[in-house]
Amino acid sequence: MKNIKFLSLLLGSVTLLTLAGCDPNITTSNHNTSSNGQTTIVDPSEDDPVFAKFTGQLEEGVTVKVVENDTAIKMGYLDELIAAFNEEYKEYGITAVDANQGEFADLPNTGPYGYGPDVVYQANDVLMGWVDDKHITPIPTHLIEAYQSEVIPDTAHDAYKSVVNNVNYTFGVPVNIQSPLLYYRKDLLPSDWQETWDDNNNDIPDMVENIVDLYEFSKQYHAKDDTKYGFEFSLNDFYFTSGYLFSYGGYLFGNNNRDDTDIGLHKGNAKYGVQILRQFAAEMSAACRDDSAKLAISGAMASGKYFASVTTPDVRSVIVDALVDTYKSEQGLSQDEAITKAEENVVGVPFPDLPSNGDLINPSDDYIECKQMGGINGYAMSSYTKCPNASLAFINFATSYKMVKLREQIIQIAPCRSDVAEESTQLSQQLFERTTNGSIVLMPSIKAINQVWTPAGSFMADVAADPSRGGNAKYDTLDKIQAALEQLSNDIYDAIHLLN
Amino acid sequence: MKRFFRRLGKNIVDLWTNFINFFKVANLNVKASMCLMGAGQFMYRQIGRGILYLGIEILGILFFSIYGFQWLVGLITLGTVEADPWTGLEGDNSVIFMLLGLMSLVLLILFIALYILNVRDVYNTSKLVLRGEKPKTFKQDLKDLLDKKFYKTVLFLPILGTIIFSLLPIVFMILIAFTNYGEPYIPPVLVDWIGLENFIKVFSIGDIGPTFFKILGWNILWAIATTLLNYVLGLLLAILLNKKIVKGKFFWRLFPILAYAIPGFITLTAFKFMFSQGGPINFYIEQAGGSALPFLTKDGTWWARLIGLLINAWLTVPSVMLLATGILSNINNDLYEAAKIDGAGAFRQFKDITLPFVVFATTPTLITSFIGNFNNFGVFYFLRSDVTSNGYFVSNDTDLLINWLYRLSIDNKYYSIGAAISLIIFIITSAISLIIYIKSPAYKKEDTFR
Repeated sequence: MKNIKFLSLLLGSVTLLTLAGCDPNITTSNHNTSSNGQTTIVDPSEDDPVFAKFTGQLEEGVTVKVVENDTAIKMGYLDELIAAFNEEYKEYGITAVDANQGEFADLPNTGPYGYGPDVVYQANDVLMGWVDDKHITPIPTHLIEAYQSEVIPDTAHDAYKSVVNNVNYTFGVPVNIQSPLLYYRKDLLPSDWQETWDDNNNDIPDMVENIVDLYEFSKQYHAKDDTKYGFEFSLNDFYFTSGYLFSYGGYLFGNNNRDDTDIGLHKGNAKYGVQILRQFAAEMSAACRDDSAKLAISGAMASGKYFASVTTPDVRSVIVDALVDTYKSEQGLSQDEAITKAEENVVGVPFPDLPSNGDLINPSDDYIECKQMGGINGYAMSSYTKCPNASLAFINFATSYKMVKLREQIIQIAPCRSDVAEESTQLSQQLFERTTNGSIVLMPSIKAINQVWTPAGSFMADVAADPSRGGNAKYDTLDKIQAALEQLSNDIYDAIHLLN
Repeated sequence: MKRFFRRLGKNIVDLWTNFINFFKVANLNVKASMCLMGAGQFMYRQIGRGILYLGIEILGILFFSIYGFQWLVGLITLGTVEADPWTGLEGDNSVIFMLLGLMSLVLLILFIALYILNVRDVYNTSKLVLRGEKPKTFKQDLKDLLDKKFYKTVLFLPILGTIIFSLLPIVFMILIAFTNYGEPYIPPVLVDWIGLENFIKVFSIGDIGPTFFKILGWNILWAIATTLLNYVLGLLLAILLNKKIVKGKFFWRLFPILAYAIPGFITLTAFKFMFSQGGPINFYIEQAGGSALPFLTKDGTWWARLIGLLINAWLTVPSVMLLATGILSNINNDLYEAAKIDGAGAFRQFKDITLPFVVFATTPTLITSFIGNFNNFGVFYFLRSDVTSNGYFVSNDTDLLINWLYRLSIDNKYYSIGAAISLIIFIITSAISLIIYIKSPAYKKEDTFR
């Protein structure tokens, strides 16, 4: 077979060279190789063969199987979406149903055998991980209202683009932004915080604006009661901690997270980000070294053990529920009073700014914005669907202004459409802006990302444990951190490439 | 090697000579069956058998001309047209090709075996006729299957089941070890045969080779240590609870059985929480003025190994205890009485009566336990799957080969490398088991306790 491949390649090259020799302006059949031999990447044309199945003729009487995330199902959004879609398309006999395959649908193992979903809602890193094996199909953006209305920011659209045979296809339609946030208890702020912790008088506590003040506040908070910690979270979760490395110039993959041969966790001054986390770990409990802090977050925040922590927005409701119970039992509030108070006091904000010299103990006066890793959740279509037109209609419907707005209202998640974001909460607007300006670094849309989480998480757990090592510390100098980051980048590179 | 090929050549020559000799002495009916299955049987008026064999030949030829040959070619090429789900082009699925090809190969071997059986059958009939006896009728054949050859009737389905559900998957796994199946060669991308490349990779490339040997060393140490620990603890517990002086035996036996009855992954998850950095054990250490210990973290290599050993003992000792309790109840008390009269103390009785008896009876269980522990996936998967260690390729310093295999083949989709490692594990465990069994008293002194 290798010989056949080689012969085909040879024949193909010869043909191309011959054609190029005949006419210097000629390009290849898909119009993406220029005369000087340089490959140019083009957007797909409307008559691209992969779009041939999108005839515009809806397949009547079909069932569109949809995979949604658990939160959307739990909070009733999927029911609303399905009911509205089925009503809209009842004249065609098209019915959308919950695929009932769990939120992490195993499309690669179900789709090819005919029992996978037709439409999948997931984060961009998961969906785009299926592109290489062609499990999801390119989306004709000219038939999608959200793209045609130009309400999807380029950064979000880019998260769903992938180049195949030099054509830059789009594989999904963004719906919302997901990113970890710093959550804190407003009622645990010092009563005089406006005088003592608001140097810039902007009515935002300094300790949630910059990490140096958060560090100082944490030390004071712990000093008052040694069972409590100002700021604590699971440092082993690289989704939470990677932003600290990115803020100082580190990155996951080169070429806008597309090139898996360029691992950049040690690049720039990423070591500063690690140093900050190591310094802060000294003020956290041992729970920050593994999942313990993550698992304990609701109880710890409700009891005041943690003043602030980091988690994803979907966990906020769990913290609020725990705090409601605390208010009821400790302060004797009624259910309604407790809910109102808890909703008010659990506040989510983007990560605090970082000192530009990456040192919490001797910080510089100037600060840089702390980047955070995030993702764009959206809809994609299975390549194995028997009803591409009906599935496309569903995606169009589910990403319309009306449905994205409803989704934001029910699930309280930051929308990706600019028209919905404009009318949204301040936090959602902040997240939208941070996505468009690159402060939220989107998870890479390539398969190689799967090789990052375990080694990077294991490394960060080791960093978190370092202050407890005393004289045997492994990461107490910037040089040691740099060497460890280089080793980490090499390990990830090997995991991706050594066996390929 | 030279000797092997010389013997092989000699065997082939002998086989051919035997065939020629057989052909010379075979009568016309036998030769007819050689040309057409069932023909000889028809000539001996064994109509039932004749139809059966002829039917097999017709079905075989039909099958191989329509599917079988194509499937065999597919096994060699593993497909030539790559599928494109985007345009709906239904290409070749290499994995399906491999499966179908393998099935076809098994059917071909079966067909050849039936062909030989058909010739042997008519040859045996010709000998009967020569002796002046009548050829067997179809009715007699059926009767034999329920009487003299009843074992064949009974064993047919289990053998078929073993071939389909055990042998085929093993052969399939072995075949995968010689392909490049895995990232990025996963259908619809075509898979190819690559010979011994995967084995070369396992032993030589980058960190993979050293990782393999480091994990193998720990794996052997783990399997021996945990098997012995569980065995000794289980036996001691059984002996202790078997003593007459122990009151409320049922009550005391209940505790280990409860530990055994709780699903392993729940126990392991609970232990992981207990030994986590923010877990209760570290909490009390800190309360006592100490620092949290790195039980399961990157630093905690030997802590984690020790915890793994103890948790596995917690999970396994009850079953060994139950087994040993049953065996102990079978020891003839007269032996102990006689030993006492001869002046043997408690230790001597244990060493010369209890231990040999229990070891003899449990050697096969000990081997299965050793293999089970060698391939004990759960313990370190639950305790430490989120940790990677420096110098270990996609694994950590407590991973066993089976955990590494899982990380490579399931987490990272390097299926063919996983298959190669499976094959190596299979060879190692089979060799060790065989050696232990052959050296064991259960094999050497089979009749001792009969």
